[in-house]
Amino acid sequence: MRKRLGLRAVLPVGVVALAVGLTLVANVFGNTPKHSTRVSAAAAPKCGLGNGKTASGTPITLGAIVTNQPGTSFTDITNMAQAYFTCVNDNGGINGHPINYDVIQEQSNPTQVAADAKQLIASDHVLGIVGNTSIIDCAVNMPYYKQQGFFLIDSGIAEQCYSSPNSATVNMGPRYSSDGAASYLINVKHVKKVVFDQSNVPGTGYNVGGVNLIAKASHVPVQDLTENVPIANGDSVAEAEVQDAGVGGGVVLNFTPPEALIILQAAQQLGLESKVQWACSTPCNTNFLVAGLGSAWNNHLFVNAELNLPTAPGPDSALYQSVLKQYGSAVSGGLGSFSQMGFTEAQIAVKALLGIKGAYTVQSVNSAFENVKGFKTDLLCKPWYYGKHVPYHLPNNTDRTVTPDNGVMVQAQGCTNISNVDPEVAGVRKIEKKEHL
Amino acid sequence: MPTWSEIQPFIPIGLALGGVYALSGVGTVVLYRATGVLNLASGAVGAMGAYLAWALINEAHLPSGVAYAFCVLFGTVVTLAYGLIFGPVLAARDALVKAVATLGLALVLLGLMAWIFTDQAYSLPLPTDGAGFTVGQANIDWTQVIALALGIAVTISTTIFLRVTKVGTAMRALANDREITATLGVPVRRVEAVAWAASGLLSGVCGLLLADLVALDATTLTWLVISTVAAALIARLRSIPGTFAAAMVIGLVQSCITPVQSLTQYEDMTPFVLAVLALLLVSRTRVQGLAGGGGV
Repeated sequence: MRKRLGLRAVLPVGVVALAVGLTLVANVFGNTPKHSTRVSAAAAPKCGLGNGKTASGTPITLGAIVTNQPGTSFTDITNMAQAYFTCVNDNGGINGHPINYDVIQEQSNPTQVAADAKQLIASDHVLGIVGNTSIIDCAVNMPYYKQQGFFLIDSGIAEQCYSSPNSATVNMGPRYSSDGAASYLINVKHVKKVVFDQSNVPGTGYNVGGVNLIAKASHVPVQDLTENVPIANGDSVAEAEVQDAGVGGGVVLNFTPPEALIILQAAQQLGLESKVQWACSTPCNTNFLVAGLGSAWNNHLFVNAELNLPTAPGPDSALYQSVLKQYGSAVSGGLGSFSQMGFTEAQIAVKALLGIKGAYTVQSVNSAFENVKGFKTDLLCKPWYYGKHVPYHLPNNTDRTVTPDNGVMVQAQGCTNISNVDPEVAGVRKIEKKEHL
Repeated sequence: MPTWSEIQPFIPIGLALGGVYALSGVGTVVLYRATGVLNLASGAVGAMGAYLAWALINEAHLPSGVAYAFCVLFGTVVTLAYGLIFGPVLAARDALVKAVATLGLALVLLGLMAWIFTDQAYSLPLPTDGAGFTVGQANIDWTQVIALALGIAVTISTTIFLRVTKVGTAMRALANDREITATLGVPVRRVEAVAWAASGLLSGVCGLLLADLVALDATTLTWLVISTVAAALIARLRSIPGTFAAAMVIGLVQSCITPVQSLTQYEDMTPFVLAVLALLLVSRTRVQGLAGGGGV
């Protein structure tokens, strides 16, 4: 007589198989270091004073506001800044004072963002703001920062980050990086049309503004698209972009790395990678993105890199890679433009802080920030400056173009000026000349 | 307005999405009919299974086939376990309470995914992505074909299963009247368990397909359940072929409005709009029916 295999018999088998699989996954994740694990003191990177002594004095508190919402996360920037500060604290801090980094995450709610700035300055008593990367913070809080005498060293997104004397960014932001990406497609790849696609978040008109001007100057039509993020249908988005660009056209993507990867992988699945020329603003200059794309994108995607190649040689790049490896366990994207920004902002701030003579106050810290000039790093094409008494700052206005090559980024074009057709870029070059910056 | 040749590439994309929505929608309807539970956790279960499959392939270096099977197994066991543990406890509660309880499972899994897998981008390409064929202006890959074919196959087989098998008949009886069905000696718990397991199995399959067709992203996959629920609601949580048809319409409309510049921003609203329209139409027909039949 045949015995029926009942639920009571089948379920335990399933549960056991599931348990085996989950144990395997847990074991793998438990044993796989992401970027971290502190290694021996001999191999430890030298940050700041570089004396290997743990700072134990009164902490110097710096703060930041960062966007972290579905489809748009910039936490790699602040997490990397934190990694560098931790390294500095392990190497003598700021003349013995450890840096306490106070980061608040926000979700593009103006009321929340306004309260966050007040919390940092009025409640948490931060002495300076470093690594701020928020979609709306500059638009909401710049008058408050000005009133409180804060000079931010930040990563800019909104227009107000680039139109205030109180914000100087290490990046050039979505507008100017998109300018660079579009210029490359127009001037080097000679595309007949540009389709510009970006996340549907505040500031889309500002972001596409420079691309429109550059394309118009070259008599190339532009089509502007926006996508709700997280992207729920990458296939349709990629297909629409290619269709809109047409034969001989180009597509410029302005998304965070995970969203850009969704579109690019969808394009690859549909065989669209060679139908048009593809370009990205700086977030695509990220190792995990290029590793996810593979060789199909060799010479088909061109990324405007506001900073250097993630694996570039040079002392600052080597330190960045070393700090990420040993202190950057929270940097989920690993090597890439976002973590480069956080590192460089923190590095600039630390150099300024180390130069302060006397007490660390809001006045002394922000004066030190404002006085930064000629900061050399191999992560940027030109020395970085803050610039005193200038109406706005765009110190990073020259950058590279990189392209995937079998799963890693390589340089496609060396340091190139962002087009003067964008009036703010032309304006900042005049300021640089006049102020000898 | 886009031309016909411009719309063509979006049709296979929409059909493939519709096929996966249908798969998940059929699971939702079967489970609802058998247990009275509107499962809002199917997207999260599938997403978690897909993430685990990614980990088994990329971190544990197991063969892809084993990882895919594990994804389906994960969906089946987790959903069945939820049903066995919480099903009896919540059996007498209101349908809304039962639905919200599954939302709890979805949020727990979503939190786990965010905790374990962070916000880095992951991808789970299937081996069927690389090859395909062209029809008119449309490039079609085998994953899209499989998604549509599975949707059709599961719809037909489930319809037949519910009509000709003892368990299927018991499920239909449960949907009509649980008390009488139980009184007649139908093993209610066992029938419910079959429904939970089947629903979970389909969640796992959908997780794999959607991770490839859409993205391996916890938030996106978890809330794609909205499209599934919309398809099931349009079919009034009863009709399996109706769920399939609704899913296909949602997938097609969602995809084919992409090239329409003025509508593309609203494509995410497609499931809601179609569900609301269908519910309004159904209620209007019902009111007219009552009026025609001499109702008050």
